[in-house]
Amino acid sequence: MRCLVVEDDADIRADLARALQGAGFVADEAGDGETAWYRGDVEDYDAVVLDLGLPRLDGLSVLRRWRANGRSFPVIVLSARSDWTEKVEGIDAGADDYLAKPFEMGELVARVRGLVRRGAGRVSGVVDLGRLRLDTTRMTAAFDGAPARISPLEFRLLDYLAHQGGRPVSAGELAEHLYGAADGADANAIEALVARLRRKFGADVVQTRRGFGYLLATPP
Amino acid sequence: MIRSLRWRLLLGAAAAILFALGIAWLFMTLLFEHHLERRLQEEMTRDAVQVVAALSLAADGAPLLAGPPDDARFDKPAGGYYWQVTTPRGALHSRSLWDATLDVPPDVPPGDWRLRRGAGPFEPAVSVLERRLTFAPGDPPAVVQLAQDRSALVTAQREFGFELAGFLAVLWAVLALAAWAQVTLGLRPLRALRGDLARLRDNASERMPDAALDEVRPLVAAINGLADARERELELARRRAADLAHGLKTPLAALAAQCRRAREQGADAAAEGMERALAAIGSTIEAELARARIAAAGRAAGGNTGALQVVERLLNVLEHTERGGELAFTVDVPASLRLPVREDDLAELLGPVLENAVKYARRRVRVRGEAGTGGASIVIEDDGPGIAPERRETALARGGRLDESLPGSGLGLAIARELAAAMGGAIALGEAALGGLEVRLSWSAR
Repeated sequence: MRCLVVEDDADIRADLARALQGAGFVADEAGDGETAWYRGDVEDYDAVVLDLGLPRLDGLSVLRRWRANGRSFPVIVLSARSDWTEKVEGIDAGADDYLAKPFEMGELVARVRGLVRRGAGRVSGVVDLGRLRLDTTRMTAAFDGAPARISPLEFRLLDYLAHQGGRPVSAGELAEHLYGAADGADANAIEALVARLRRKFGADVVQTRRGFGYLLATPP
Repeated sequence: MIRSLRWRLLLGAAAAILFALGIAWLFMTLLFEHHLERRLQEEMTRDAVQVVAALSLAADGAPLLAGPPDDARFDKPAGGYYWQVTTPRGALHSRSLWDATLDVPPDVPPGDWRLRRGAGPFEPAVSVLERRLTFAPGDPPAVVQLAQDRSALVTAQREFGFELAGFLAVLWAVLALAAWAQVTLGLRPLRALRGDLARLRDNASERMPDAALDEVRPLVAAINGLADARERELELARRRAADLAHGLKTPLAALAAQCRRAREQGADAAAEGMERALAAIGSTIEAELARARIAAAGRAAGGNTGALQVVERLLNVLEHTERGGELAFTVDVPASLRLPVREDDLAELLGPVLENAVKYARRRVRVRGEAGTGGASIVIEDDGPGIAPERRETALARGGRLDESLPGSGLGLAIARELAAAMGGAIALGEAALGGLEVRLSWSAR
């Protein structure tokens, strides 16, 4: 697995590369924004660690350019700033995760692994649910063709429903599937989750069949 | 040295008024004395003219008086009013003079009446009106004198002086009172300034209202200018502190890298000590940044931000975190709900609270927005363990972290409380309907 480490501080960059190599990655390094953008544009990475404060081209711009060119590898953003406005900007620009400096190397490696794992071991492909499309490799969604915000839990719920062949699934069963052992309170959480999906993607993305459960409006 | 401006002005005014009234008293008693003297002279001249009119000389040159003046005091011995006519040949005098005589000075003027003071026949002091007369050329001259006791005049003068002094004392008191009122009224704008200055001291972004008085306006302008300068310097210092804190983070991460390398090379003990020091520096920096954020929020009061958009963007971030990605979020915030805070500040306020909810939630986090006539509020609930009522105060106190086992800067809710206060809001903890902690951030309508 290949990953790209973008960080202008040579010490940190070397440390990151070494830690990721220790975790079984092949780590490429870039020390400025333009190099990073070029490498990310021409090579396929399984994950990118991107510092935001970069010389020549700042991290957010690099990220936006990649996403605009359809580069969809998972990106974890590093920043010296810890304010929420910048976190929001990073995620809005297309980052998959965010870590503030100074960080624990162990945590960073775990998060990179988590991002890679999301896509790993899955059948590469797209589940088409009408206006909503699920990318099962990256666990991302697109609504009306535009990238849509979707949480892993929401994704798993839609994914599970998509694989039931139009069978309505009860909240209890969904909770069982999503949480393992489940109780009544967890069924309420499923209800909340469905409500949030409906808010995001329209009221009819998930239908309720009274007495039976939930099903997708337009199964694949 | 009197240190009160009011007392200085008052004492100054009182002394000046006293001096002026003293001068007035002197001047007025003098005027009164002149007036009395003039009246006396008129009265005596009238009587003297009567004496002269009735006066003739006998053949031997002795004076003859056809009829004495009709004032009763002339007939009473030692009555206080006397006349006397003296020629070289003899003298005539009023009955009141009895066996005494009036001194005839050699220099009595021939042409006109002269008034002078002298010792009296029976009294210590008398006023004497006198004139030298010549009836016909060759006749011996006759000296006509009238004398009147001055004691009545002196008494009148003294009484007038006393009464005037009493009146002027009352006048002085009234004027001093007026000066006091004037000083109090005059100093009132200064007292108002003091109140405005106290507000200025409490809040660097506060400014003094423009003064209505021409004399005070330059002072207010100068103070406001000073406040502007202070705010700029404060802002600069805070920005430098924030830049410094941010700038330190990358070197800190680099140091952490060195630390790990040291550990890999077997220097475990050294690496451990370094890591502890780095962690301490890191938390100091976070605290400093949080303080800068609070100060910035307080400075940039005001604003009008749609709450829903901010909540959704923050949840988007949290849904990307490991814990947040596994939670079911419910957003129940009306799109019309607006809060009197700037967008960035609201994100910094709601961020830690939402992060806290995500940290402790089991399955669900709910964000509700409420707007009423009393104000607006955002309520964040989770279904985690919650905080027992008696421990809620501790959770809001700075550094009062309840759970040391979960990651975090340790400031969480305490920062949120200070931020909320700086933004004119309030924070309250309660028990959520979902079962966990409820955090209510509210702004009362102004």
